[in-house]
Amino acid sequence: MEARRALVLIVDDDVRSARRLAQLLREDGYDVEIAYDGASAIARLARDPVPAALVTDLRLPNADGLAVSKFARTCRSDIPICVVTSYPNLASALDALDPKPMVFTKPLVYGDFSAALSRMMS
Amino acid sequence: MPLEKRVADLRRYVEFDERDAARLAAVRDALAPDFPRIAQQFYDKIREHEDAHAVFTGEEQIARLQSSLQVWLHRLFGGTYDAQYYERTAHIGRVHARVGLLQRYMFGAMALIRLELVRLVEARAVKDELLATKIALHKAIDIELAIMLEAYRDEHVERIEKKLALERQELALSAAQREKQYAAAVELTRDLIVGVDEEGVIHMFNAGAEAVTGYGREEVIGRPFIHAIVAEGAREPCERVLRDGTAPARFEATIATRAGKMRDVRWEIARADADRVKFLLIGHDETEARRLADHARQTEKLAAIGTLAAGLAHEIRNPLNGAQLHVAYLERTLKKANASGEALEAVNVVGDEITRLAALVSEFLDFARPRPLTKKPASLGALITRCAELAADDAAKASVEIARDLPSKDIVAMVDASKIEQILLNLVRNAIEALAAMQGGHVTLRLRRKPKHAVIEVEDDGPGLPEDAPVFDAFYSTKPQGTGLGLAITHRIVTDHGGTIEVESRAGRTVFRVELPLGEEIE
Repeated sequence: MEARRALVLIVDDDVRSARRLAQLLREDGYDVEIAYDGASAIARLARDPVPAALVTDLRLPNADGLAVSKFARTCRSDIPICVVTSYPNLASALDALDPKPMVFTKPLVYGDFSAALSRMMS
Repeated sequence: MPLEKRVADLRRYVEFDERDAARLAAVRDALAPDFPRIAQQFYDKIREHEDAHAVFTGEEQIARLQSSLQVWLHRLFGGTYDAQYYERTAHIGRVHARVGLLQRYMFGAMALIRLELVRLVEARAVKDELLATKIALHKAIDIELAIMLEAYRDEHVERIEKKLALERQELALSAAQREKQYAAAVELTRDLIVGVDEEGVIHMFNAGAEAVTGYGREEVIGRPFIHAIVAEGAREPCERVLRDGTAPARFEATIATRAGKMRDVRWEIARADADRVKFLLIGHDETEARRLADHARQTEKLAAIGTLAAGLAHEIRNPLNGAQLHVAYLERTLKKANASGEALEAVNVVGDEITRLAALVSEFLDFARPRPLTKKPASLGALITRCAELAADDAAKASVEIARDLPSKDIVAMVDASKIEQILLNLVRNAIEALAAMQGGHVTLRLRRKPKHAVIEVEDDGPGLPEDAPVFDAFYSTKPQGTGLGLAITHRIVTDHGGTIEVESRAGRTVFRVELPLGEEIE
């Protein structure tokens, strides 16, 4: 009966935070994969199955969050994107993307974040 | 007395008549060969004399004078002594006056010439005529001398009078000019020049002083300098300088203008010792220069802080993010395990502290590295209304009434609406918090127009701020939970708009007054 779990790709170079976020999301019913830099995130996006949502930091080693987001949109033009960043000021670079990613400033308040994510994916 | 009459008078007096004239003419040819020698000897004698020689300008002049003397000798024995003759004699007197030859040398010179001529007459005149000729010569020479000396005197007096008149004229002119120059210098300078007597009472107050203080000279002259213009807090050191006044001394004294504004003035005290003005106080208004320097320093500081803050924010937000996610996990796990309320509360406290830290970082970034303004024409009335609505819930909880006092005609200004909304909300929330502590009160949002500015006031009837509290300084707060950045950010946003913010506070009435330029497009 259970619907197939949606796949969320987390991109963050802060390993422990990424793992903890993944764990919380899994408990809330998502499938989660983690990439620790921009390049591997792009490599993962190029493979099937294409994730249902992207959660990415902006500043990342080897290709930044903007590049990852743009690539994700080439894989799936309406993929919901959550940008989680220490530099919300830099998020204006994302204005070119349509639909616009949702921007969260670190530290992430998990309750607010998961509520927003589920709204975006529904 | 005209020359002709004088001559006639003299000739009568010395009994010089036509026979005398004829006797002189009779010996001319016998004497004439010696005239060049007499002239030569005469001038050689003068060359030996320092004062007399000083009159000469050069050899050419001496040669000319020597031949003039020969002409005169021929004339003296010419036998015709008419008006023209004596006019030429008078001319000689005038020339001597002009070249500045002293009169005593004219006597001396004439004595030398007379002696030579007497000798010549004795040697060459006819025996029978000798005495009569000598007498005629003496008479003629004395008349010559008398005419020359009188002409000399007349010329000399005339010249002195001319010179005196000229000097007087020059003196009068330069005194007037000098006075004018000084007056212009004193009145045109932008510096303050105040003249005081020994008691420090003002007797002089220049245009610069009037411009800076806002007082007219008629108001302050006769009043003590210190009480008339020096600000209350700055009087003591100023009094000391004036009392011990070992001029020139320098001191700084803030002055209070008529409008109640303070100006930083650097003074120099100089002893004048005029009739009433014993000291001149020369002041330079440094307020603007200091303000600019402060502003430059502040901007520099903010830029440095901004760079630092941006770097630090990243370093702080990342670990906070980790902490927050772990706290979320902990909370969930504790709930699942039916953990004690205390354990849950502890986790919540950690979560709250993380949230607070995160807010501080955000606020600090806002203060230190504000986003550039995006100014657009905005209705300030609408902004105030929206702000009152946003604060309505908080106000109701604290039993605070928010009133709006808007002008009949709305004011539109070139502003970054979101920023202005942010600062108004901040001011209103501060007021509500201050009133909450005393079980409610009133907040009034007021909007007024000035020619080129809009004035927004946020007034409350709360307890007031501590005196001289540096409310606009970063990290100054009167609230236990405050970051001390709210008003610092407000100040920054207002100044970034080219506006000013000031506060006026006493128990029962605190007013924050924000003045914003309307913007050229709107003026």
